[in-house]
Amino acid sequence: MPPRLDELTMARRAASELEPGQVVALGSGLPVSVAAVLPPDAAVQLLSDAGALGYGASSDGHSSTGPALASPDGRPVALQRGGAVVGMVDWAAMLRGGHVDVALVQPARVYASGDLLGWTTAATPGLFAPGRTVDLSAGGRKVIAMLPHTGSDGSPNIVADSSPVADGRGCVNVIITDIAVIRVESGALVLSEVAPGWSYDEVAAVTGAPLAQASNLKEIAPNLEALNAERAGKVFSDGPSAIADLHDGATVMIDGFGGPGGMAHYLLVSLRDQGTRGLTIISNTIGIARSVNFGTPPGKLAIDHSILVDNGQVAKAIATYPVSPSMSNPSSFELAYRRGDVELELVPQGTLAERLRAGGAGIYAFYTPTGAGTLIAEGKESRVIDGKEYILEQALTADFCLIRGHKADTMGNVVYKGTSRNFNAVMAPSARITIVEVDEVVEPGELDPELIVTPGMYVDRLVVRPEGFSPYE
Amino acid sequence: MVDEKERLPREVVAMRVAKELPDGGFVNLGIGIPTLVSNFIPDGSVVFYHSESGVLNCGPLAEEDEQDIDLINAGGQFLQMVPGMAFFSTVDGFAMIRGGHVDVTVLGAHQVSATGDLANWMLPERGVGNIGGAMDLAAGAKQVIVAMEHTDRQNNAKIVQDCTYPITGKGCVSLIVTDLAVMQPTPEGLVLKEVAPGWTVEEVQELTAANLIAASDLKEYEL
Amino acid sequence: MPQGKLYDSPQAALADVQDGSTILVAGFAGHGVAERLLVALLEGGSKDLTLVYRDGPYASLGSGPLPAIENLVSNGQVAKIISPIPFSPGSGGAIEESWQAGWLDIEIVPQGVLVERLRAGGAGIGGVFLPTAVGTRFGADKEKRSFLQGEAVLELPLKADYSLIKVAAADTLGNAIYDGSGRNWAPVMAMAARITVAEAGLIVEPGELDPEAIISPGIFVNRLVASD
Repeated sequence: MPPRLDELTMARRAASELEPGQVVALGSGLPVSVAAVLPPDAAVQLLSDAGALGYGASSDGHSSTGPALASPDGRPVALQRGGAVVGMVDWAAMLRGGHVDVALVQPARVYASGDLLGWTTAATPGLFAPGRTVDLSAGGRKVIAMLPHTGSDGSPNIVADSSPVADGRGCVNVIITDIAVIRVESGALVLSEVAPGWSYDEVAAVTGAPLAQASNLKEIAPNLEALNAERAGKVFSDGPSAIADLHDGATVMIDGFGGPGGMAHYLLVSLRDQGTRGLTIISNTIGIARSVNFGTPPGKLAIDHSILVDNGQVAKAIATYPVSPSMSNPSSFELAYRRGDVELELVPQGTLAERLRAGGAGIYAFYTPTGAGTLIAEGKESRVIDGKEYILEQALTADFCLIRGHKADTMGNVVYKGTSRNFNAVMAPSARITIVEVDEVVEPGELDPELIVTPGMYVDRLVVRPEGFSPYE
Repeated sequence: MVDEKERLPREVVAMRVAKELPDGGFVNLGIGIPTLVSNFIPDGSVVFYHSESGVLNCGPLAEEDEQDIDLINAGGQFLQMVPGMAFFSTVDGFAMIRGGHVDVTVLGAHQVSATGDLANWMLPERGVGNIGGAMDLAAGAKQVIVAMEHTDRQNNAKIVQDCTYPITGKGCVSLIVTDLAVMQPTPEGLVLKEVAPGWTVEEVQELTAANLIAASDLKEYEL
Repeated sequence: MPQGKLYDSPQAALADVQDGSTILVAGFAGHGVAERLLVALLEGGSKDLTLVYRDGPYASLGSGPLPAIENLVSNGQVAKIISPIPFSPGSGGAIEESWQAGWLDIEIVPQGVLVERLRAGGAGIGGVFLPTAVGTRFGADKEKRSFLQGEAVLELPLKADYSLIKVAAADTLGNAIYDGSGRNWAPVMAMAARITVAEAGLIVEPGELDPEAIISPGIFVNRLVASD
């Protein structure tokens, strides 16, 4: 038999699957080597469940001034410029929420269905220490399985059908072994590459499942050049260009707790000037600062959501505090609501925050005690868990999110200021396109990675609030 | 006339509530009389304030020339920066509330029922209202204290057998402190624990639309 | 305030641990492990404990002959373990032996599910529908439901009596920051326990930590001990 590929060659082949700008999570075993073979300037961010987002192969040769960080297998690593420190809750949310482009795992077995089985030993029947494997398998948008093609006894590790027991269902997209690259295409295996010297027949003979042959079967030849490409830029020159594709009927998250602090006024004005209509706005208030000077310095009239309402752009609001606290000073939204021009879905504040988090973190629904037994519970499932009444609330996502940060780096990492963090940090992960208005954009590495609140993986576009722009009229 | 008898000022109500706050506890104060409570924390006692605007360990309000739009409380008032503050997002702020980490919340109310139902988010005649953080506080804080005037401006009872306004939380209120009395909702009904100086049980009952059960140790409003 | 959050010793901070307590132990591959607190837990001798941790085998004490969690197990203090990696099968020492012998109960949970169950516990959520375990052995016996996004299983909250965390620095109000991978499970475990005890590399006065940098606000940290 021709020789099999070594671990590093397999890792290089796996790395060739990656594309610039991707976030990549590595599992234990063979995937760990992928970090070692990436070019130093590769435009991908590795995510470690030890809390490092955007780390390099090892800390060797890097300065020791950064935070003490570990790779998934516990080895010391250093952050690349623009990396961030994250906690375990964030790691899980990034995966489940679909924010990790590629997950690499080493299963014991892969099935033609794309199912996978983690390893177990004869000594511990039925006990599998899943660690991160199940999360990676379920969460990666693309899952690459790396494993030896056969076991130590020569039996195939890639087998037909499905397993009665699985640690991932239909999740594997690509299988990279020491002799082949196999793609899982609608439940069928297609051999696309073979190790030098191997033929289709030789690979098929040690594969335990039917194996189709790609029309252009090639020899495995890792190529990492593409990974050095420039990342797509996130900094837009002005507000109008940053929201150019925000379309009629879009669902848009706009934050601000209520006052001018933490509200993306420049983007709000851009959206007003753009004139897009039929919008559903998700927000804490739907414009009260103008009516009652909430959080507004004396003598100032703040720009808020009211400018969109007054311009006839809003069809519906999902909000917690939609009207003025003062009946005698109604907000634009309240007047429009009384006219029947707009719809309202009223949500308790903590429930709104939790629904947004769920949307960004891949939680489909959750039980909360908030609102049980009230009008908010109408039409929702109610359930007693451990003697306490809860209601079922659903995740919330949006097409666009317009939020206000303090500073960002060009990779989209954002920090906030004081109480202006509020819903901004919660909304950023929950929209398809997140656009952040900041006071200043700096180079990667200039923000302290321990202080980054919203990692760049959640931020698609940045725009700097123009000098001299006033949030007041 | 009971209607014209002098009632306790708002500051005294706030002072009475302040006595209930646990030393070293985390407290969330609503708008109105609840906001005043922070002025009356007994000497030698410390309370940490949580605000759903996203800050813990809030201190006093800022002077007019030091107002910062990035440092507000949940009522939109400007805060002073004080040592020991911590900022967090709304999702973390409400995890603190719902997760039972906030010891006491003090809220205002439109109505409170004899069994502790709270109604404070919508007046039916307006047809629309603001929930804000009230429902989470009602459901999540370990203890919910209502601080309010005993009746509305037209002298209609705010303490009722059953709420007629849309409720914020069911059976969540553990203590009601008004300008006339201190009451405790229980499954058996509303127990009258303290009455304002110069007021009789009968007079308080006259302004209360729920049956009051006089506590065995009923006393005068105790500060 | 009554006595403040500062305790003289790890032993004093854990003096009230009862038999049968559930204890969360933060740490990832040796990072962010509250080693002095684990020693105090061992010395305290409380029994029938349920321990929740990510990877106990790596939570080794620098000077001790045996890993910390294993010590507690071989000392007969542990009734149950909830973990994504309770031990390395085949080389799990006392933990594996006790489990094989049938007197140590082990509940295995994928780590992203475990962390979300802890967050639910800490955030007052009654349960979460997660897609993670759908179709796997970890979702087999759980309530399943279809949503617009797809299938999900109901995961229930996990709360504890204590959590033992390590922080880089804390102020006397309990506001805490971490160092790099030392953060890992600590912030969520701090939320999920009735009493969170933090072993702090540095304890400072309020105002010395940047309020923007605080990861665990003092509301989640009940007791503080110095790490040396």
